[in-house]
Amino acid sequence: MVRARRETVIGIVVTSLPIVAAAIIAALLFPGGGERIIALFSIYLVAVLGIGIYAGNSGIVSFGHVGFMAIGAYASGLLTINPVIQKTSLPHLPQWLADMQLPFIPALAAALLVVVFVAVLIGIPIARLGGSAASIATLGFLIIVHVVLVASTNFTRGSQTFFGIPRAVGLWMALPFAIGAVAVARIYRDSTVGLKLRASREDEIAATAVGVNVRLHRFVSWVLGAVLAGVAGALLAHFIGAFSPKDFYFNLTFMLLAMLILGGVTTVSGAVGGTALIMVLVEMLRKFESGLDLGPISLPTVFGLTDIGVGLAILVVMYRLKDGLFGVRELDERLKFLRRFTENPNGVRSGSPETHISPPTGDGALRIENVSKTFSGLVALENANFNIEPGMVIGLIGPNGAGKSTLINSISGIVPPSTGRVLIDGREIASLPTHAVPVAGLGRTFQNIRLFRNLTVLENVVVAASAVRRHGEDPRDGARLALAEVGLGEYVDQLAGELSYGAQRRLEIARALALKPRYLLLDEPAAGMNPAETEDLMHVLDRIRSRYRLGLLVVEHDLKLIMRLCDKVVVLNKGQQIAVGAPAEVQSDPAVIEAYVGRRRPAVSGLDPRPKNAASLSAGRSLQHPALKPEGDLG
Amino acid sequence: MDMFLQQLVNALSLGGTYALLALGLAVVFSIMGLINFAHGELMTAAGYGLIFSLLLGVPFALALPAAVVVAILLAVLMERVAFRSVRGASGTTLLLTSFAVSAIIRVLFQNFISARPMAVRIPMALSGTIEIAGLHLGIIQAISILVTIAMLVGLNLFLHRTVLGRAMRAAAEDFAIVRLMGIRANAVVATAFAISGLLAGVAGVLWVAQRGSVDPLMGFLPVLKAFIAAIIGGLGSLSGAVAGGFLLGFTEVFLQAFLPESLLSYRDAFAIILVIAVLLYAPQGLLARRTVVKL
Repeated sequence: MVRARRETVIGIVVTSLPIVAAAIIAALLFPGGGERIIALFSIYLVAVLGIGIYAGNSGIVSFGHVGFMAIGAYASGLLTINPVIQKTSLPHLPQWLADMQLPFIPALAAALLVVVFVAVLIGIPIARLGGSAASIATLGFLIIVHVVLVASTNFTRGSQTFFGIPRAVGLWMALPFAIGAVAVARIYRDSTVGLKLRASREDEIAATAVGVNVRLHRFVSWVLGAVLAGVAGALLAHFIGAFSPKDFYFNLTFMLLAMLILGGVTTVSGAVGGTALIMVLVEMLRKFESGLDLGPISLPTVFGLTDIGVGLAILVVMYRLKDGLFGVRELDERLKFLRRFTENPNGVRSGSPETHISPPTGDGALRIENVSKTFSGLVALENANFNIEPGMVIGLIGPNGAGKSTLINSISGIVPPSTGRVLIDGREIASLPTHAVPVAGLGRTFQNIRLFRNLTVLENVVVAASAVRRHGEDPRDGARLALAEVGLGEYVDQLAGELSYGAQRRLEIARALALKPRYLLLDEPAAGMNPAETEDLMHVLDRIRSRYRLGLLVVEHDLKLIMRLCDKVVVLNKGQQIAVGAPAEVQSDPAVIEAYVGRRRPAVSGLDPRPKNAASLSAGRSLQHPALKPEGDLG
Repeated sequence: MDMFLQQLVNALSLGGTYALLALGLAVVFSIMGLINFAHGELMTAAGYGLIFSLLLGVPFALALPAAVVVAILLAVLMERVAFRSVRGASGTTLLLTSFAVSAIIRVLFQNFISARPMAVRIPMALSGTIEIAGLHLGIIQAISILVTIAMLVGLNLFLHRTVLGRAMRAAAEDFAIVRLMGIRANAVVATAFAISGLLAGVAGVLWVAQRGSVDPLMGFLPVLKAFIAAIIGGLGSLSGAVAGGFLLGFTEVFLQAFLPESLLSYRDAFAIILVIAVLLYAPQGLLARRTVVKL
């Protein structure tokens, strides 16, 4: 069940109104030509939104949706075509198909079944791919559809024109589909499902780390987008009445993609605006294409002037306005005066006791048992072995390349360990799919900040909160609470990429907290922070661990922070776990001192790069010596 | 058995052309993450270069290199005019930019040259066949196989033996670091494009020599297939591109030979489906380049 939020409904209304207005104006003032243009616009809009549902939310350009348009067009056309015409144009049709003549809507429904079947089939391999490889696979799909249409002469007349389809679609048939497509696209975009896919577009690894099953969501949006494209294809078929396979090939793909990106790939309002602008451009250029007689000057016929125009439009967007005319936010999200309709009527509920982040109770520990990781022969980590109990802070330190980040990545499942086990309360998690680990109670942050930069602060956290939401709960409440916990309650509507560095680090922590984890892995949370920010962070960490009885594992080079915050310290060196114990014990452990400063040995010559007195410093002081922070703040 | 060997030769020749195209795509992709849709136009440009050189009275033997030079120049020009300003942008931006560039160049070909196919006069000496051990080998096919091998060996030597070649391999790993070593980014990128132009030009000339005509859309379909070859091999992996090209060529030729008559027109669809099915088992491609993600 999809429950549209108030903002979504307002967004749909704001986006649809201009379309409806244009339709009414066209019907009243320009019957005929004007109506046809708006009808065509509506059809293209459905197709563009179909591509946008997949491409905009997943960040993968699709060349394949025109293939679904073709399937929709031919499948519905075969069912509605006049049997008399069909008998002469397609004499080899199977009898059951030749006898069938349906009205448009049932034919559309039947065509969509075909589209969904094909979309599911082809979606399975494509959902496994990301980035450019996925785009090229969709291109492969388009070619397959084209080849099949041309080759299946008994059904499609091959590359010849497929004609005799009743022109059942006019403005008032196309318009409701356009509005419906706007609604579907917008509801999907704003739903938590769409939000998760948008998060994966921004950062696939971080999305997985907050419980997003990226493949599943790519697949869902692929099929949903295919359905819209199929609708658009059927509409177009019954609007123009005759077509051939080349009408559903690269030229159409090219124009639809231009429509999508001119307005901005990621928004529904962008799709509407871009479609309108390109339609205007194409209509204007088409007039010039066949040559023009301006009294004394007559312009020659130019082939493909529209292609040049569309191509230049794409280039302008790519060079000048990377995110398109409408940017990454919906139109209504930018209009301030619409805000008052969208305010939460119940007021801010955050802080009310029943919505408190409450980790599932249960004793036990996060056990790291003999975890090892080798990268093609190189042993990065060998037999890490320790426990993290709820409410405890464990520090993980060690020189550069000691295996700290490898350990965190192995525990969180991003880079599964080669051997060994990771258990939460006795439950093995290293064998779970990566996106299931966070939901099992393990949150993490990254050494290099990985936020969903083009999502708002609130959306960043909602992605995580919705992964663990219970029935009937609004993930936004949990998200607001987590943000308040790290002091970002004021910034909910800013884009994450616009936050200051320190705030971005805290946002990562809030995002991990929203998973209601029992254990939290923090990879250098204070890296690059100034002393005041570090001090703040320490208070936040100390508070959350005692309030929620969280077990924390903190990788940090700021040893002062480690020594003050941690109950226990684990020291890694060259992939080996060389010490575990209370901070004071570890500080005086000879093996640790050796790892950090080297063994005392007779001074040989000036060749020794270490400060001469390093080895003679007391262990406690030596560990705090600034020169002994082995990695710089660059992380 | 003879039939099989004959098909093998066909597959080597067709696969070799795909391999050259896919390799050209991969060279550019590995350096700047761009899948160049306009690669097919380089191929077409080589075809037109050949036609116009012959029209100007250049002897055939000289017209061939001239045609390749046209493709190289167009590739370098393309980089300078269209792709330099989006260097470093996301893969999507680059892909769409090249998509637009490709469409624009195609329209320019249609308007300034001809929308219809133009015939190329191939010397009689090239259209015969030679017989080796009972095998009838088209001369052009034989040449095309030899040229493909020479190009692959030559590129390999260039990449491993020269400073610029080594810089290019390094740039494929980490461009920022290569620049810190004092190698000029523009030089590396321009070389990558020149190489892709060279490979596309050679492929274009081989293509034209076997088909005898050039039209504005000539390069489009083979390059679309080369895209698919490149992702099957693993995007950005040079050896993967070559492997993918040969795999696609073999698949097509053997489908052509063994599909029943009624299904022959579906050949390309079958080939692409088979090849994409590979991705179910190796989503990153057969010889994927190992990318190190810093977490």
